[in-house]
Amino acid sequence: MSSVTVAAPTRPALDEAAAPWKRVPLYAIGGTIVGGIVLPLVLVRLDIGTYLITLLILFFIQAVVAQAWNLIMGYGGIYSFAQVALFAVGGWTSGVLVHSLGWNPFVAVLFSPIVAAIAALGIGLPTLRLRGVYVVLLTLAFHQLARVFTVTGPRFISGGGYGLVTVQTFSFGDNVIGDQRTIYLYYLAGFMFAIATFVIWRVIHSPLGVAVSALRDSETYGVSRGINQFRIRLLLFVISAFFTGLAGGYATHYNGGISTTIFDFPRIIDLLAMIVIGGWGTFAGPILGAGIVIGLDQYLVALGDYRELLLGLIIAGIAVFAPQGLWPVIRGLYEKYLAPEAPPPPAPARSEGTS
Amino acid sequence: MTLLVQAIWGGVLFGAVYGLMALGLTLVWGAVRFLNLAHGAIFTVGAYAAYWVVSSLNLPILIALPFGVLVAAAFSYLMHLALIRPVLGKPGFDNSTLIATVGISISVSAAAILIFNPEYKVVPAVLPGYFVISGVQITNQGLLVIATSLALFLLVYLFLTYTRQGMAVRAVSQQMEAASLMSIPVERTYGMVIAISGALAGLAGVLLSPFFFLNPNSGFNPMIQALIVTIFGGLGSIRGALVAGFVLGIFESFVEVFYGVAWAQPGVFVLIILMLILRPNGLFGIGEVRRL
Repeated sequence: MSSVTVAAPTRPALDEAAAPWKRVPLYAIGGTIVGGIVLPLVLVRLDIGTYLITLLILFFIQAVVAQAWNLIMGYGGIYSFAQVALFAVGGWTSGVLVHSLGWNPFVAVLFSPIVAAIAALGIGLPTLRLRGVYVVLLTLAFHQLARVFTVTGPRFISGGGYGLVTVQTFSFGDNVIGDQRTIYLYYLAGFMFAIATFVIWRVIHSPLGVAVSALRDSETYGVSRGINQFRIRLLLFVISAFFTGLAGGYATHYNGGISTTIFDFPRIIDLLAMIVIGGWGTFAGPILGAGIVIGLDQYLVALGDYRELLLGLIIAGIAVFAPQGLWPVIRGLYEKYLAPEAPPPPAPARSEGTS
Repeated sequence: MTLLVQAIWGGVLFGAVYGLMALGLTLVWGAVRFLNLAHGAIFTVGAYAAYWVVSSLNLPILIALPFGVLVAAAFSYLMHLALIRPVLGKPGFDNSTLIATVGISISVSAAAILIFNPEYKVVPAVLPGYFVISGVQITNQGLLVIATSLALFLLVYLFLTYTRQGMAVRAVSQQMEAASLMSIPVERTYGMVIAISGALAGLAGVLLSPFFFLNPNSGFNPMIQALIVTIFGGLGSIRGALVAGFVLGIFESFVEVFYGVAWAQPGVFVLIILMLILRPNGLFGIGEVRRL
């Protein structure tokens, strides 16, 4: 009998100084939140304020979807093209609950992320053991299947060939109309955006996120360190689908319907443009990209069909010549000129005195 | 009997069509190791070039056909020069080329809308006319597609096996560094493979447009089918693309005839998922070591 007791494996204490949440000043977060709350109250007094608020709502929706996509594509290296389909799953779930079963939109929208996450499990189980190209194919296949189903599926669910065209919108009581209602919708979208951003940020900086980055950078090494690749990717995929579905549910009740045109290519293009322009595999990249694409959209619309030609060329150009996107550039500028206290540069070993 | 003949004819035709599209895709994957998601766009480029010759220059389709093929090959080669050569061999090659080809296909369909318009176009058949076997209409164009597809498979196979250029392609695909040490011009070989693949896509575009009509997005579905066929047969395997094309084509046709059109695509997807579970490398997949 050996008297040696095997010590339980202990984890090294977390290096608090390295904790990423300590690096973000509370003032910045608080300022952003307060700014976000006050902003619509100021904007509504402007002439075009309501329009700007609706643009911001659109930004919130798209940014959530782009961030979720970036989480799996940029960080996870899973080339899933099912993002729009998952958005549609969320939209249809909530739409059907309200349209065909007469639920309250506020309750129904809570079910969108859950159903989208379940759908993601369904896609992920056969797909995520495979690699790049196969994932592209099977997720595109899911996209096509979802499109076919929404067009030809049972009327109860699909709402006919055009989708669910009349779904009850969010209502905040009878006396909340016009600008007041837009502001409430803004808060709702902003709340959704804040939660999604926070959770995705925490996921990226959690052990899960570190494992994901490790797998992306060197799969062999990651796996040999005991990371269960399939489980990690599935988890990431489900988290991503959760927020995509939530955004889909919100968008359905915001627009008062969801149409089958959502499966058309332009939607994928816009989202891809956001991620690629903003910065592939960076946390703030998709948010920045969503801001740029939506902010410029009113000017791009004037270009008509040149818009997509241009977006396509930009995507291709950035993908090849600046795969990092814009975010690292902006971050570099910030750190060069504006960062409050840059860490002291390591003193170079002086070999010769000059003065 | 009519149903059976219809199912078989449709299946063989679909099979030839899918094979024709998949051939170019699998060639590029096998040699250069990149997934060309712009393959459908090149298909569209070839078809529109032929349509332009026929409709604007009033020339017969027999002149438009080689023109379309050449334009598609040239487009493909330009894409290689602009977007693929700069990142060859660099880290993140998969990433960049995948996204870049998606960008290209977006731009092509937008450009097609601008230059022509989003309406459906009709490209005339190279061989018009048809005859009837037990109530099933068999078009001459269909027979031509089947013959072309089989002939091209044979040609590509002979090219890869017996010509110097073909051997260079195989050498590069197996060991890029070693090939370049043997003074094989790697970049030029890649360019050649991509141009050939583009020519095949363009030919498919011109020959298939009489069946599917032509619109700015008409390359998308054939590309998806080609992807499925390529993966079913084993990525990078030419024999696999041929066999898988016919297997999937006949399967789809039988499902379509006996269970209805709505089940055709889901059926194919179920088949491919089963395949990936049973044989992840596809029918003739040869793993990572040897390709082509």
